[in-house]
Amino acid sequence: MSNFLFGRYLPGNSWVHQMSPQSKLMLSFYFVIVIFFANNLASYAALAVLIAIVILLSGVSILFFLKGIRPLVWLIIFTVALQILFSAGGTVLWKWGPFSVTNLSLINGGFIFIRFLLIIMISTVLTLTTTPLAIADGVQTVLKPLKKVKFPVDTLALMLSIALRFVPTLMDEMETILNAQRSRGVDFGSGSLKHRVQAAVPLLVPLFTGAINHAENLSTAMEARGFSDSEHRSKYRIYRWQLKDTVSWLVFLLVGGLVLYLRK
Amino acid sequence: MDKAISFEQVTHTYQANTPYAQNALADVSLVIPNNSFTAIIGHTGSGKSTLVQHINALLKPTKGSVQVLGRVITPATTNKNLKAFRQHVGMVFQFPEKQLFEETVIKDIMFGPKNYGVSDADAQQAAKSAMKLVGLDQSLAEKSPFDLSGGQMRRVAIAGVLAMKPEILILDEPTAGLDPRGHKEIMDLAQQLHDEDQMTIILVTHQMDDVVNYASQVVVMDEGKIVKTGTAAEIFTDPGWVYKMQLNLPSSAEFAQKLVDAGVPVGKLPLTIDQLATKISQLVAEGADTDE
Repeated sequence: MSNFLFGRYLPGNSWVHQMSPQSKLMLSFYFVIVIFFANNLASYAALAVLIAIVILLSGVSILFFLKGIRPLVWLIIFTVALQILFSAGGTVLWKWGPFSVTNLSLINGGFIFIRFLLIIMISTVLTLTTTPLAIADGVQTVLKPLKKVKFPVDTLALMLSIALRFVPTLMDEMETILNAQRSRGVDFGSGSLKHRVQAAVPLLVPLFTGAINHAENLSTAMEARGFSDSEHRSKYRIYRWQLKDTVSWLVFLLVGGLVLYLRK
Repeated sequence: MDKAISFEQVTHTYQANTPYAQNALADVSLVIPNNSFTAIIGHTGSGKSTLVQHINALLKPTKGSVQVLGRVITPATTNKNLKAFRQHVGMVFQFPEKQLFEETVIKDIMFGPKNYGVSDADAQQAAKSAMKLVGLDQSLAEKSPFDLSGGQMRRVAIAGVLAMKPEILILDEPTAGLDPRGHKEIMDLAQQLHDEDQMTIILVTHQMDDVVNYASQVVVMDEGKIVKTGTAAEIFTDPGWVYKMQLNLPSSAEFAQKLVDAGVPVGKLPLTIDQLATKISQLVAEGADTDE
C-alpha cells in the first residue's frame, strides 16, 4: 500500500510540475485518444518513447515509478487474461471448454496490455506532478465553456476540490481507526471472506460517522464566513499557459501525427 | 523491578525506500519497568505516537528491536501473529470515541475481549466491571454509544480497552477536549489502575501538571530521539531547557518562576500545588517578602 503511487502527488519543480494544470489535463486526454489510434508495434513504440521522456521530465525516478504502478499491473493482467481466453478468430492454439487461445487473441491481448499500461502511466504522471487542488482548478478551466448552457461549473469545481481536500484527512482517520481496532484484536486482511467482511464493519461505521461530522463542521464554517455559491469567486493561485505548455503540445501533436503515419 | 518494555536502538522510517521517506524515530533505546507510570512528553511531531505504537506492534521497527512482556518484535517479525503482542497491551488513542461502532454501549465494550477469544458471558462480565471502573452507569449499557455526550463516549471507548484486562495501558492524550472534572476523573482512573491493578501505564501528554502529579518516570522526546529520562523533579530543574524543548513548566513551577523573576528567593522550583503552598507559607513565615 505504501508503495502505491496512483493518485498521489509528489512535490517537485520539474518541467512537468511547472506546466499549467489545464494543459496537463487536456494533454492526458489527448494522449489517451492517440493510444486508441495505435495498432501496431511501431506506433506503440513511438508512444512508449514519448511516455518515457515524460516520466524523465517529471523528475521521478523510473524505477520508483514502475514499482509504484506494479500493483495495478495485476489488474491489467487479469483483464487481459479474460480478453485472451474469450475472444475468437484466428488459428486456435489451445482449447478447453468455453476457453480458447488463438494467435489473434494473443496479439490483441498484448496490445491491450500495452494500452492499459500507457494510460495508467500518463494518468500517474498527471497526479504525481499536479496537486489535487490544481487538478480541480484545471477541470474548472477546461469546463468553462459549459457555463454558457448554465452548467454550474464553479460549484462542481468546488465540490471536486472539497472532495479531494478530504482524501488525506479521511486516509489519516482510517489509519487511526484501523490501528485502534487492531489493538482491540481485529485481524484485518486475514481469515475467511465472511470474517473479512465482518472486520470491515468496525472500520466503516466510524469512518462514515467521521465523514458526516466533517461535512457538517465544514458547512457551518463556510456559512460562518459568508460563503455563497452565487458570488463570483476570485483565485489565490492563477495558472497561466506557458511556453512549456506550448512546447509540450507541439511534441505531443507531432507524436500523434507520427502514430497516424505508422499505424496500419 | 522487571522490565515490561525495552527498546533497543530502534529506528523507524515511514515509507522507507521511497521519496516520501521520513525518519520518525532515530536510534531509540529505552527501558520501561513493570508497574511504572511513565509519561512521554515532547512537542508535536517529536515521535511520541510513533514510539508508543511500537509497543502495540502497530508499527514494526525499521532497525533494532522492541521487547514487550518477553516477546520480541524485530524488522523481520511477520504480520501473522501480531495479535498475541496486542492482547496484553491496551491502547487508548487520541479521541478514542472515534473508534466506537456498535449498536449498544455494552456490545462495543465487549468487542475487544471477544476478539481475543473470551466467551460471551465472561466478556459481558468484563464489560460491566469496566463500565464501573470508568464511572459509567449500568443503565447506559443498552443505549447507542452515538446518543451519549462526548465525555461519556470517551469513557465507553476507554472501558472497551480496559475490558481486555491489559497488563500495559497506553494513554495517548486521554484527556484532550475534556472538561476539568472529566480530566481529573480520567487521570485518577489511570492512577487507580496503576496502584490497585498493578498496570504499567504509559501516558503521552502535553499537560505538564499531569506529569508531575502522576508519573514516576518521564521521557522527553525531540526530533525522534529520547533527549532525557528521569523523574519529574529531574526534568523540570532547568526551565530554560524545558522551554527550548517547546514544552512548558508545570503551572506551580511557572508561578514560582514568576516569583523568582520578581525577586522572591524561592530556591528550588516547587512542582505541585502542595509544594508551592508549602513553599509560600514558609516564605510568609520567614517574612521574606520584598516590599519594604
